[in-house]
Amino acid sequence: MFIEKLQPFLATSYENFPKGRTIGAVVLRTTQSETIFRTEGTGEPMCSEYVQAGVADTATIPRLVMTKRKQIAPERRKGREFLRVHELLYPDPKGNSICSLNTNAPCEMCVDCFLYGFAAGGEGAQKSRVWTEDAFSVLPSTELIGDRTINAIFETGTMRDEEGKASTALNTSEYIKPGVHFLDIVTFKDVTADELRYALGNVLLTTRYGAVSSRVGRMENQILGIFGGIAELPSSLELVQGIYDKLATDQREHPLNTGVLIAATQNVISTWTSKRGISVQLSATELDELIADVDRHLSIDDQASFLKRLSESYEPMRKVKAASKKKGKGKEQEA
Amino acid sequence: MKQVELELQTTPPPYKTAQLIELWCAEPVFFASRELSDTYYTEGTIGNYALAYALGWARSPYRLLGKATGRPTYLEDLTPLAGQRYILPAWPVATSASFRFERFNALSDSYWYAMTNNRVAIARDDLPLKRTGKKPNTFRPSNFPQTGRLRMIERGNRFQTIAFGDGELPEYIRVGKFMSKVKVEIVKTVDVIAQPPGEYNCHAYLNSADLTSGLGLLSFDLISIPPASLLKNLRFSGSAWQVGDYTLPANLEFCGGRNHG
Ligand SMILES: [Zn+2]
Repeated sequence: MFIEKLQPFLATSYENFPKGRTIGAVVLRTTQSETIFRTEGTGEPMCSEYVQAGVADTATIPRLVMTKRKQIAPERRKGREFLRVHELLYPDPKGNSICSLNTNAPCEMCVDCFLYGFAAGGEGAQKSRVWTEDAFSVLPSTELIGDRTINAIFETGTMRDEEGKASTALNTSEYIKPGVHFLDIVTFKDVTADELRYALGNVLLTTRYGAVSSRVGRMENQILGIFGGIAELPSSLELVQGIYDKLATDQREHPLNTGVLIAATQNVISTWTSKRGISVQLSATELDELIADVDRHLSIDDQASFLKRLSESYEPMRKVKAASKKKGKGKEQEA
Repeated sequence: MKQVELELQTTPPPYKTAQLIELWCAEPVFFASRELSDTYYTEGTIGNYALAYALGWARSPYRLLGKATGRPTYLEDLTPLAGQRYILPAWPVATSASFRFERFNALSDSYWYAMTNNRVAIARDDLPLKRTGKKPNTFRPSNFPQTGRLRMIERGNRFQTIAFGDGELPEYIRVGKFMSKVKVEIVKTVDVIAQPPGEYNCHAYLNSADLTSGLGLLSFDLISIPPASLLKNLRFSGSAWQVGDYTLPANLEFCGGRNHG
């Protein structure tokens, strides 16, 4: 059912020219452990920003921000893990190494390169068709940040040395508490049904974000809404502001009840199909069906054939690329 | 006699109406307008070519191959819109836009890195390879910067602009290098009225490449950004269009309509 409803906004095969087909997903990201999102660079505080509390409530509050860059890299890596297992990452054009993220050598051929894009580094460039947005916490960051003080302990195992002097070596480190809700909007442009499955799979299966560590940064992602249209959904900031307005004053405390939050979110997003260019929203049943479908395609049994099918869908474009390369070489010889 | 002459020179504009638009930056916006040392500066404006693409009026392919990689196609993409659609560069609603600085770092979350040929190597596994004389992937030179600072238009900034033609506009668009989300609010629809040649002051931003050739530029301030410089506080002599409270030089078109006529 879901596929019929979204069909007008999905491409039937990879197409190089934008047609404006837009799928929007509302994503709830909940921290499951202590998490660290720092602003770029070291020694920086936790990412937060002063913004208007609600749409109606115009007071200014600090909110935690999970930047778009903090979301996309781990999610792409998740998909690439699968591609690597099934040997669907290609060598870069110079044949030096297998496609990898954040380096100068995209393969320009794999599912990840076609869907998430790559900068002009090798021989071409591809614009991303997955657009993320900064995610915001619903509640003020002051509620959501914990502080851990690390004391330097002396050899005696106490806070006092042999002469009884107190240790002055104190260190504090900030972290985002478990159970913090971030909301954000992910946009898919001119994707095929299989590309949508792959990209949603990456969102649903990525469980770790933020500063690299084995013990922190666990996060659970849920899809709360899927929309189709020819225009984008409202911003994640407006979404959390709308939700904040719907919460009673005594509900605006950490830990925020997830059920209450989801109800408030559904309430806000249910009005979005009246916006310019947004045509359909999947019903609760259709959304469940879509997520079950994504899980099925990425299950152990079906993963290999699904990814192979997706990878093969780019074959015509790979041929175009090969032809243009040949032509380019010919011209060089003429000159 | 004199009146007849005036009528001849005042040709009706191709657009009957225009929409006064307010843009709200839901995310920080970055354009690499200027580079000073390791800092990339965004100017306090959103260029009209960027807006035309963002509004979906023109579309460039997802995959760029060969020569197309580095060559913009404004002429091909935008001049066919002549007479149907036009938009001005956006100017800040406040006296000026507000900015924020951000560090960018291609390795922000990695434990280990090393500076190599104009790039930051991030894979420690590559070290043994390098010692054996091989050139590992992450050590190869990069043609894009790996670290530096960005001056971005801050979240929450508001801009105004005028879109000509009466087509529907999307409520949200993406602009800049990081595809930042911007909300499009239509303030009001106004008539476009031709004004006879004369001397006028223009309080909107204009793209220097979009002005008609016969226009007399008396004075202006220049905002130097790629692909074409913008003019503000322009005093000009020539025919004009009255659009709500704004007086603009007449016959504005993308690239001055250079591709046709
Ligand atoms: Zn690749």
